[in-house]
Amino acid sequence: MTCERIEELLSAYLEGELGPAERAGIDRHLAACPGCAALLEGLREATAVLAAVPAIEPSPALLARLYAISERKAGKKGWLQAAFDFLNRPALQPVYAAFTVMLVVTSFVLFHPEGQAIRKSIDVQLHRGFGTVEKLYAEAGSLKGELGEFTGNIVRSVKNLELLGTREDKQ
Amino acid sequence: MDLSEVVSQCLAGSQGAWRTLVDAFARRVFNMAYQFTGSRQEAEDMTQEVFLKLHGALPKYDPGKNFQAWFLTLARNHLIDEYRRTRWERSQRDEFDERVLAHAAADGPEESLADKETKAFVWEGLNRLSPEMRTVIVLRDLQGHSYEEMAGMLGLPLGTVKSRVNRARIQLARVLRDTEGGTS
Repeated sequence: MTCERIEELLSAYLEGELGPAERAGIDRHLAACPGCAALLEGLREATAVLAAVPAIEPSPALLARLYAISERKAGKKGWLQAAFDFLNRPALQPVYAAFTVMLVVTSFVLFHPEGQAIRKSIDVQLHRGFGTVEKLYAEAGSLKGELGEFTGNIVRSVKNLELLGTREDKQ
Repeated sequence: MDLSEVVSQCLAGSQGAWRTLVDAFARRVFNMAYQFTGSRQEAEDMTQEVFLKLHGALPKYDPGKNFQAWFLTLARNHLIDEYRRTRWERSQRDEFDERVLAHAAADGPEESLADKETKAFVWEGLNRLSPEMRTVIVLRDLQGHSYEEMAGMLGLPLGTVKSRVNRARIQLARVLRDTEGGTS
């Protein structure tokens, strides 16, 4: 085995992950190569030093900051939650829907490349609509007059029937 | 202590339950952060970020899962991401080694001289490694994760993780040998 190959296998060797044949090959190389043997010793020391690193304690100031997170968030959450709950009421959903539709239509009309033509055609359509409504209203008025007249005729005809006619004559 | 119960009390707004969580995990998270940064101040800032993140993520916690494993994964992922994000900035700091060593030596009168020396020695060695190498050493040799866990955390193939750990240890061994040779 070359020194490069031994270097690649040192951690696996230390952690006992190699098979007997590979392990024996490394042992033979280490016995004959002081450089690789020193490197293995260095690796052992490095992992031992890392394992001996002592834990450190968080400062009381840090703990106080960590405790305060919940209080700070609770204060914020109360105000935000109230606003969210108000805006999230089901009663406001049709309002949001209508607003969205209006927004889409308005932005389409305002920002469409042929916006002016569209606005003009909308004006024309609106005027036409108004005209039609007025016409219908006038026709409805005349129809009402005709209906009144027709009703009067019927009443008069009924009164003139013989059965009622006698009553009319009596009067 | 049933942590799921503590979490539900936290969600109901109990300050006492939140303090219980902080007491249970602050030391561990702070040490993890310190192992990555080598600086007490940065470790404190990162610990605070982790607990802020935890507070925001608590409603998403599934009570059927192990809370400790869930939270430590969240913490570790945040620390690794932050360490990766700031590695360029970190590599530009000329004073980093000195600052880390000064912090390591000034961590409190209760620490023995041997502890301080060990820590200073290790931080000096670790700070001479690239962020990639340092990350795998911290995860494997300081935090004791398995290679499989590390492959999952780092999103790397198992073989890459193993060879990276081996290379990092060799680099660290050489750095420590040089340091020892220089100081003795």
